[in-house]
Amino acid sequence: MAIINQATKELQVKIVYYGPAMCGKTTNLVQIHDHVQTAAGNKGKLVSLATSSDRTLFFDFLPIEAMSIKGFKTKFQLYTVPGQVIYNTTRQLVLRGVDGIVFVADSQYDKMAENVESFNNLEENLKSLKLNLADIPYVLQYNKRDLPNVAPVEYLEFLLNNREVQVPSFSSVAHKCEGVFEALNMITRMLLHKFVSRGTPQYA
Amino acid sequence: MATLPQLLEEDIQQLDDGLRVLLEKTDATTALLIDQGGFLLTSQGDSRHFDLTTIAALASGAYMATQTIAGLVHETNFNSIYQQGEQYSLYAQRVDDYCILVVIFKAQVSVGLVKYYAAPAVEFIARQMTIAQERDPAATLDLSAINVADTRDLFKRRDGS
Repeated sequence: MAIINQATKELQVKIVYYGPAMCGKTTNLVQIHDHVQTAAGNKGKLVSLATSSDRTLFFDFLPIEAMSIKGFKTKFQLYTVPGQVIYNTTRQLVLRGVDGIVFVADSQYDKMAENVESFNNLEENLKSLKLNLADIPYVLQYNKRDLPNVAPVEYLEFLLNNREVQVPSFSSVAHKCEGVFEALNMITRMLLHKFVSRGTPQYA
Repeated sequence: MATLPQLLEEDIQQLDDGLRVLLEKTDATTALLIDQGGFLLTSQGDSRHFDLTTIAALASGAYMATQTIAGLVHETNFNSIYQQGEQYSLYAQRVDDYCILVVIFKAQVSVGLVKYYAAPAVEFIARQMTIAQERDPAATLDLSAINVADTRDLFKRRDGS
């Protein structure tokens, strides 16, 4: 869970990018790292624990400090999970202490089954940590909208956002940084709203 | 999943004292207290030469991976990890259900010494965590000071879009 450090007036929040293999989770973090506007020194290094073929093995990690809000320094820790099915234990580890989720879906028609499987896997993994997706702010990002064989957004909405409470969703082309900051800003806004209304962060 | 108790400034001061004593006794370089989710709670010692935020995230991941391995080999007592380096070594030990003590020390410092003094430090920290837990588990901080209306675009692209 998020942590407030009263001694240093810092708010630390963990956001996890989740989704099927090769959907663009790491690309999101790379684009944020490359394009985020920060004061000098408050953007951390992007750390990737990847295989030799650049597939995420454990996680990618990007710490960034956003602007100060009313005296609170807000530090966001962005993680990705490995999308490949075999790394499920690793995904469970990365989800520990998660505050918000960006679910990245691959918009290509032939990836729909993987999107749904990954989304179900997310819910199962949260349950194993005694968490409920309904209690965690999340947004959907429909990535790779520039490819020719993509499903209509309405179809993705039907598959992934067809619940009692619909969540914000974004079309994106992550490698061009389109839709990346929109999803990030929405999840951070949802998180901060939740904290203010429920007072849930831990304190340090 | 276990969550941290609410820590106030006085708790942090106590935790810092515990870490400082550990550094003094062992001549270690840096001591960190991190939570199992990867957050850095507090640290003492050299923080200029190390990226402590990233170390906290990676050390937590490494420690939690070790815990998972422990489960797979039906072992309940993998409560520490040790990485020996040529210049610096790293030792991490479970404090309680919420947090982990991480010590970075020069390679010439004896790991036995670090382990020996880490044990009372862990007890001290765990005791303070218990005090925090029992103080008022339901207490919350008023976050209304944070004006969420200001957070519309917390992150901006460098090209201004």
